[in-house]
Amino acid sequence: MSGVTQNSEPSTGDLARIESYQHLYVVIEHEEGIPVPVSLEMLGEARRLMDNFNVKYSSNEKVVAVVLGDNVRHLCQELIRFGADVVVYADNHSLKHYTNLLYTKIICQIAEDKNVASSISPNRSENYKKPRYMFFSADNTGRHLSSTVLAQLESGLASDINKLVISDLEIRHEHKTKGQPVKFEKTLEMYRPDFSGFLWTTILCLDNRNPVTAREYHPQSCSIIPGVFEPITKEDQRTGTIIDFEPQISDEDLRIKVLSRNIIKSTIDFESCKIIVSYGRGIRDSPEDNFKLIEQFARALNAEIGISLPISKRPYQTKDQHLLSYMIPERVVGTSGRKVSPVVYIAIGISGAVQHLAGMKESGFVVVINPDSDAAFRDECDIFIKGRLEEVLPTLTEHIKKHMLMIEKRA
Amino acid sequence: MPVRPLNVGVIVKLEPDFSEGNVSYNPDGTLNRAETKNILGPHSAAATLAAFYCKVKYDAKVAIGTMGPPIANQALRQAQLISNADELHLYSDRIFAGADTLATAEVLRLGVSRMNNGLGADIVISGHRASDGETGQTGPQTAWKLGYPFIGNVIDFHIDQEGKSIYAKRFISLYGFYDVIEEIQAPLPVFISADPSYKPSFNTISERLSLARNLNEARNKADNFEKYLQVFNSEGLGADPRYVGLPGSPTIVYKVEKIPKAKAKRRVEFVDGNDTVKLDMVAKKLIQLMTEAPIK
Repeated sequence: MSGVTQNSEPSTGDLARIESYQHLYVVIEHEEGIPVPVSLEMLGEARRLMDNFNVKYSSNEKVVAVVLGDNVRHLCQELIRFGADVVVYADNHSLKHYTNLLYTKIICQIAEDKNVASSISPNRSENYKKPRYMFFSADNTGRHLSSTVLAQLESGLASDINKLVISDLEIRHEHKTKGQPVKFEKTLEMYRPDFSGFLWTTILCLDNRNPVTAREYHPQSCSIIPGVFEPITKEDQRTGTIIDFEPQISDEDLRIKVLSRNIIKSTIDFESCKIIVSYGRGIRDSPEDNFKLIEQFARALNAEIGISLPISKRPYQTKDQHLLSYMIPERVVGTSGRKVSPVVYIAIGISGAVQHLAGMKESGFVVVINPDSDAAFRDECDIFIKGRLEEVLPTLTEHIKKHMLMIEKRA
Repeated sequence: MPVRPLNVGVIVKLEPDFSEGNVSYNPDGTLNRAETKNILGPHSAAATLAAFYCKVKYDAKVAIGTMGPPIANQALRQAQLISNADELHLYSDRIFAGADTLATAEVLRLGVSRMNNGLGADIVISGHRASDGETGQTGPQTAWKLGYPFIGNVIDFHIDQEGKSIYAKRFISLYGFYDVIEEIQAPLPVFISADPSYKPSFNTISERLSLARNLNEARNKADNFEKYLQVFNSEGLGADPRYVGLPGSPTIVYKVEKIPKAKAKRRVEFVDGNDTVKLDMVAKKLIQLMTEAPIK
């Protein structure tokens, strides 16, 4: 499995590549047999991409869902209704809970299995080696699983992707093509927002076509940010192929044991509160005092308090333990934290990086308080209050208290 | 018979310091790398703390490695101050430049095997993810290449030295689902990543005494950190040039662009923050929404 090939004739090589790498495999995550939301989102995007792919390249490559677990057969039909052409499932008691080692081995067994490939496309699987593309979730489980699976399959992986395009690209790269222009067909362009949320980096996974170090890199793989892609509308009539895969499990693999598993309910309740007030780096001029203003405002509205990602990295020197308890990852709204959809979302001193917007865009009504009227948030809100929070919040809080008092008196 | 000392390896990274006052942003909101200081990343620091826990509790040997240019030795010095490490490794070679996570993992795999006087490590610890790259892939890929089982997002652990196994608690967030804490048992050698929330605790008197002694030693060592520093180039690691740097990287960065603004879905109304009459209208609107909305 060195992955090194020597193609003396490019035309044969191209043909071999087409046959060797096929389909888009989507690794499904579920909890006790219920798919987690990102699994259906990945299937939705896979469906859209492969529908276009098959038209554009006059081919018939499939969306293949891969699901592991204990008693997961019932899940397969559901995955087909949400866009899979094929579901390969491995059902075994030792797969009840995710362990990285065993899951990695079995996913690789499935990805490299010729019998599975010939069940998927009977006439085109003779030279099958590996999937063409592979999707994972960018959550705690999928992030690690994708890393180890791709280390085993010896190919490339981009993480935290929020846009995907398949295209033919002419590439000239110092190493990959030895500086010569080379056309790479059916290349997956994987778009990744950087930590600031303002830059998009496009990652490609490309074969080395440099004759000195020629090497094939497939599948082209990525982990996908939960909450960014839409699932397709469930179609009860959709049909597909279900493949029961018999995994090979050795005693060695079973030495990693899940001894216990406890579900924890967060004490921070973003789900049942009507209003969420979030703050960001806009508190910087006087973090302690400004947080007091935010807290008073939130209390007047009976709101839960959220934060933007930079705040969870505790960028301010403060000994105020109360404030520090509001600078924790559990309070982050966005792709690195929680996805929320309250009746009202109020963003104070938050610029509006895409990762943050992805976490709150389903909110009912959005109010922004920010001195910079060019902040990215201006396009994602209903009311934009231009001003410093130090000046706006005291007035706004007073008004709210006044009206609430009147309502209480009336009642 | 005394048990053989526990050998611990840590992999860390020098990263931009994102704390207020140190981080500098360009007008367009992107990071100004030239103006921003570099430090031992916070997640690397959490990994280093986990190694310190092994030092205090099990009297472990600790080696810390990083891949990077010569200035990355600053990360090693900071990590030694936290962990009282016995060995510091810098894996540095021009041909490592441009490596993606898979090619980086190849260097770190070779580095770990040279830790602790060539004995390697019974437990390797990495951070959750770097603050700048943020892929979180390098740790698990290094683990896989070493052939060690990987346990991610560890919030607490202890080692059974006689039984040669680890008991670890890990935190799992399922985004849009509930969170889970799992308890895992695995044989050594093992690779863990420390969750950002990881904090060791030292409770017994002997642990407290050991803690004080180790903190003191750490200060003395870090003052002379170069004495503990070993620099390895590609040849010194025995790296195959085809599997490191650019040739060993399946992925490339094709382009970098500004993220275009999404099409506005809402019709925004601008309010002057000094206009108290307008702010009163906003207050009324908020209360109206709050009181009229059905309870979920």
